[in-house]
Amino acid sequence: MSELIRIANLNKIYDSGAVQVHALKDINLTIEQGEFIAIMGHSGSGKSTLMNILGCLDRPTNGVYQLDGIDIANRTNDELSDIRNKKIGFVFQAFNLIPRTSALKNVELPMIYAQVPGKQRVARATALLEKVGLGERLEHMPNELSGGQKQRVAIARALSNQPPILLADEPTGNLDSSSTIEIMELFTQLNREGVTIIIVTHEDDVAAFTHRVLWFEDGRLISDRKVEKQS
Amino acid sequence: MMLLFENIKLALSAIRSNKMRSFLTMLGIIIGIGSVIAIVSIGDTMRSVIASEYENVGINRVIYYVLPEDNVWYESDYFSQDDIDQIKDAFGDRIPYIDTYYYDSMTLSDGVRNQEKVDIYAVESGYDQVQPMDFLYGRMIDEGDVESKRNSIVIEQETAQKYFGTDNAVGRKLQLLSTTGDREEFTVVGVYKKQDSFLMAMSGGNALVYVPSSLYFTPDSLGFEINCYVAEDTDAELLRTQMTNYIARMKNRTTDEIFSTSARDEMGMMDSMMSGLSVAVGAIAAISLLVGGIGIMNIMLVSVTERTREIGIRKALGARTSHILTQFLIESAIISAAGGFIGTLLGIGIVALGGMLIGIDVVVNPLIVVIAVGFSAVVGIFFGIYPARRAAAADPIDALRYE
Repeated sequence: MSELIRIANLNKIYDSGAVQVHALKDINLTIEQGEFIAIMGHSGSGKSTLMNILGCLDRPTNGVYQLDGIDIANRTNDELSDIRNKKIGFVFQAFNLIPRTSALKNVELPMIYAQVPGKQRVARATALLEKVGLGERLEHMPNELSGGQKQRVAIARALSNQPPILLADEPTGNLDSSSTIEIMELFTQLNREGVTIIIVTHEDDVAAFTHRVLWFEDGRLISDRKVEKQS
Repeated sequence: MMLLFENIKLALSAIRSNKMRSFLTMLGIIIGIGSVIAIVSIGDTMRSVIASEYENVGINRVIYYVLPEDNVWYESDYFSQDDIDQIKDAFGDRIPYIDTYYYDSMTLSDGVRNQEKVDIYAVESGYDQVQPMDFLYGRMIDEGDVESKRNSIVIEQETAQKYFGTDNAVGRKLQLLSTTGDREEFTVVGVYKKQDSFLMAMSGGNALVYVPSSLYFTPDSLGFEINCYVAEDTDAELLRTQMTNYIARMKNRTTDEIFSTSARDEMGMMDSMMSGLSVAVGAIAAISLLVGGIGIMNIMLVSVTERTREIGIRKALGARTSHILTQFLIESAIISAAGGFIGTLLGIGIVALGGMLIGIDVVVNPLIVVIAVGFSAVVGIFFGIYPARRAAAADPIDALRYE
């Protein structure tokens, strides 16, 4: 397996003038292609900050972050936009679908910014929605879908530019237990197909689906262990 | 290019999903552009009406009369046949037509039952040379009529229909009753078609008949003014100075006391009035577009705030700063241009309706439509810049957290 993410001596300090918050302290981390990882920790542990940096929504204060061979530090905002567009699929707790926009259009969106031609976009978005089991609901608006369905649209959208990595921030936080299992099974299936998946969660049930758990406390990575599988 | 197209679709769907608000936002632009188009079209229409009016009246016509400084007129300030002949001798080569503009109101009768008030104009021969007329039958008052003081009369087509039931009334007899009760018989020598004239229609006006000047303007009559037509290839200004000097000397007045006015002067006055109006309209347009533009800016700011989260999502999914910027710029440009377009239709509609009601052809410059829509789009872009920049500058992390 090849290396997808390399983080070395990474720090993130929020400086609001009077107060300095050291959100991430000397993080060293390597993630291989095809891994299925849970990032866990209490609130304030730095897991969301790490998620933002992994997702190229934020820059580290210092240290190294390489994603798919690309050095992320010192990139312009537009360069980060392009990297997010092509390399990262986001799945959020609050689904974050564009309101009043059909499931199909939502899935097309990253491809619009990637300048994929219209026909190809529709074909790919349709295929992805079929894959997540929403082939019958292409033209549904987000408010016509259940929470589990919305999250499946969001996953289809995250996959639309075939990114090497899928970042999910508390993806089951707004879902009931049966939808949670459905979504986690979908992640498991995607991971089997080769997608690298990183999930931020505080639920042990969710972490149990993954293969590796990173535990954060007070801005430090304090535990990195493989999950024992029964089967 | 593809993104531009996507952005236009996006803007249209954003506008559609907020129909009422979009419409209210457009209202300022609609009213602004609508009133400008209406006023500019009214101006153009007036101009064309007035131009054709003077075409009828005669653009080469100049009138002279004495206007004493102390407002006291003497008999010598009036014009006799002798004066006219002298002026003719001096300037005849450059003024093909001259009379004292003898105009009166009389009753026209066929001696049986029909009678109506008419305006009579006692003309010299050759009037139809300087003032084109459309004859259906017969001819205009000619030299023979004037020299032999023949009771010849030229009437309108409508008058001929009314008295004789036919257009061809040449040779028929009619009577003119003066206000003093004199009754004289005239022979119809010509029937002409009245020019469709807006001013004449407005004045309501009696039918106009022409008779020889010699019947009314006798060698001992005096006229108040000199009414003449300047030949086409003459330096009109030079001639006017010379004639003013000549008449001043003739009447023992200073040149300042000889008043003259031409159709050209009046048209020039009309034109300067119109351009004054244009400046006023321009100011109104600027103010209403400013107000409309601020309205658009306000709504776009609301829209940007409301859609903060959407902007965050778009950025997370790979939208660049410029993508967000153009998305909102296009939205405000479309709102504004649509307002401009609706305003244009409204303005033209109002003017066309008004024109239909008073029966004149409305002049609408198609260029105005293009300019109005284009200009309002520019207004939309200008006032959309600030909200769009705010949207584009949003930090994706903060925007995603926005509730």
